[in-house]
Amino acid sequence: MYLVHVMVSATVDPLSEFYLCLPRCQEGFDRIEQQYNLDTNLFVRPFTYFADLLSGDFGDSSSIGEPVIDVMRTRGWNTAMVAIPAFLLGAVLSLLLSVYSARRQYSVGDYAFTGLSFIGFAMPSFVLALILQVVFAVKFEQWTGFKPFNTGRKTGENFFQLLRDVTLPATSLAILGIAADSRFGRSSMLETLNQDYIRTARAKGLSERTVVWKHALRNGLIPLVTLWALGFSGLLSGSVVTESIFSWPGIGQAFLRALGDADLDLLMAIVMFTGIITVAFNLLADVLYGILDPRIRLG
Amino acid sequence: MADTDIRPNSDSEPTSTPHKVAVADAEGLSERPKTFGQLARERFFGHKLALIGGIGLLLLVVLFLVGPLFSEWEFDQRNVRDRKQGPSAEHWFGTDEIGRDLFVRTARGGWYSMQIGVIAAFVATTVGTVLGALAGYFGKLWDIVVTNLVNLILTVPAIIVLSVFANKYGAGKWGLALVLAGLLWTRIARVVRGVILSIKEQEYIMAAKAAGASHSRILFRHLLPNVMGAIAVEITLLVGSVIVLESTLSFLGLGVKPPNASLGTLVRDAKGDIDSDPLRVLTPGIFIVLIVLCVNFLGDGLRDALDPRATGADSKETQQAKKAAKKARKQMGKGDMTVGQLQDANLSQNERSES
Repeated sequence: MYLVHVMVSATVDPLSEFYLCLPRCQEGFDRIEQQYNLDTNLFVRPFTYFADLLSGDFGDSSSIGEPVIDVMRTRGWNTAMVAIPAFLLGAVLSLLLSVYSARRQYSVGDYAFTGLSFIGFAMPSFVLALILQVVFAVKFEQWTGFKPFNTGRKTGENFFQLLRDVTLPATSLAILGIAADSRFGRSSMLETLNQDYIRTARAKGLSERTVVWKHALRNGLIPLVTLWALGFSGLLSGSVVTESIFSWPGIGQAFLRALGDADLDLLMAIVMFTGIITVAFNLLADVLYGILDPRIRLG
Repeated sequence: MADTDIRPNSDSEPTSTPHKVAVADAEGLSERPKTFGQLARERFFGHKLALIGGIGLLLLVVLFLVGPLFSEWEFDQRNVRDRKQGPSAEHWFGTDEIGRDLFVRTARGGWYSMQIGVIAAFVATTVGTVLGALAGYFGKLWDIVVTNLVNLILTVPAIIVLSVFANKYGAGKWGLALVLAGLLWTRIARVVRGVILSIKEQEYIMAAKAAGASHSRILFRHLLPNVMGAIAVEITLLVGSVIVLESTLSFLGLGVKPPNASLGTLVRDAKGDIDSDPLRVLTPGIFIVLIVLCVNFLGDGLRDALDPRATGADSKETQQAKKAAKKARKQMGKGDMTVGQLQDANLSQNERSES
């Protein structure tokens, strides 16, 4: 597994580069051809691009009109502002939910969450985000005259203002992850709780809290942790949809714009960035797995 | 091992009696052994959610196909006079901003989304099965190439790469379906490879080889039938995820292009007026959820029905037996198999290895 991932991280960049050339290559604008060296061979082009990268030249974004590296920096921060709270929220909630449903298997709550997670699976992210937006940002104001959250769109630098802006996009990002994670966590916790050493712990007279939260959680959590690591890179992909709905000026929105305007340099930077992050988190997941569970040997 | 050894009816093996995977009934006293197909069918129809899913899906298809026939409107017929109307007897779901009838558009969009889902799932399954089978059966270079390709595709951020391709090729249903399939065949390839790896060393394959069967005969007659159950499940689950992905892409404006409509583009069109008319966003949204829910239920049911390890059908008696067993398990401490269950399991294993 480890070797494969190292190999993937070595191959993913030139390849994603190669994908990206395709939409652009078929169009023959002279000026742009000059800018992106389109007259050279498709397979040679990545090399000149990487040579430029090494000297710190990411190119200019034609759709936004700034150097790509600046765009990526500001947009990256904005995306992180949504993605990190979403990640934390998703992690905490899915953890609590999976422990709850595992402890009270076949209870009303368990069934309710199972049903909800089924719907969560089937719900496309944009429908959920739109519903949240309408209900909490628009209708809520009409009903009560009080506006708890903004519809997105960064309105201020102040922490509380930011909190109002971030809440809805972050929640809608988080909920989708919770649906899958909590199901997974539930079955893994159930399996752990049924093991012999848990019975031993109970028999020793440990309190139920210690048994569940210390002994069982450690083992039950392992698959969840890997899911989270993988899910974080999923948040970046998910942000494309969410950012476009909440008009949040992050990477996802820049990506859509770059795609629409055929802004090759920016597109390239974004795809490479997300690609690298995804691979990095995959690697992290593998490493974490090894740390959390010493029985697993990477090789 | 009887576990993976589900062989559907095939007369390719001379030593065996006509294939009947006999499994004991709930009482363990079956009068007549049932074939695997019968059992699977029984289990499937005993699975309530799967039935709901199947019937729901059927209803949706009928609604999408037959519904527009009763409406006097065409899906792209504009009627500027009454645009942006709410639901009425004339326009069941209202009209959009250039006066097109939304019921007809929703039905057409839903059918379009379903078609894309099915096409993409089948293409992905075919590609995945062939590559997975080659990797699993021949190993060596095939295996290295396919596994690395799969890993490569799995680590790429899906939406980003999909968007890039869909933007270029995804205007029609075939283009979009193929783009989606290009990314989604990996799971099936993995599953098929895994199953084939685990069964290709079994004696009956060796026997086939010794009898002089060709590679293709072994692959298609002896190996692939064993994978069919897993594939059927994967297809249904794939259809669900394809529909979600497709509508997401279309929503972003990267998938289906006008004049065609999919459920995603309908949501996109309605998004601008969501404050004044949230219903227009909700209807296509709800249809997406309904389709995917039904498909997923169906997939779950299929998985349970085709699971070779499951024994009896979920008839009323078995359900009662299960409940009793659960109670007993609770009393005896969790995780233990009751004696009865153990006997059941042994019995069915014996019977199966006999057949």
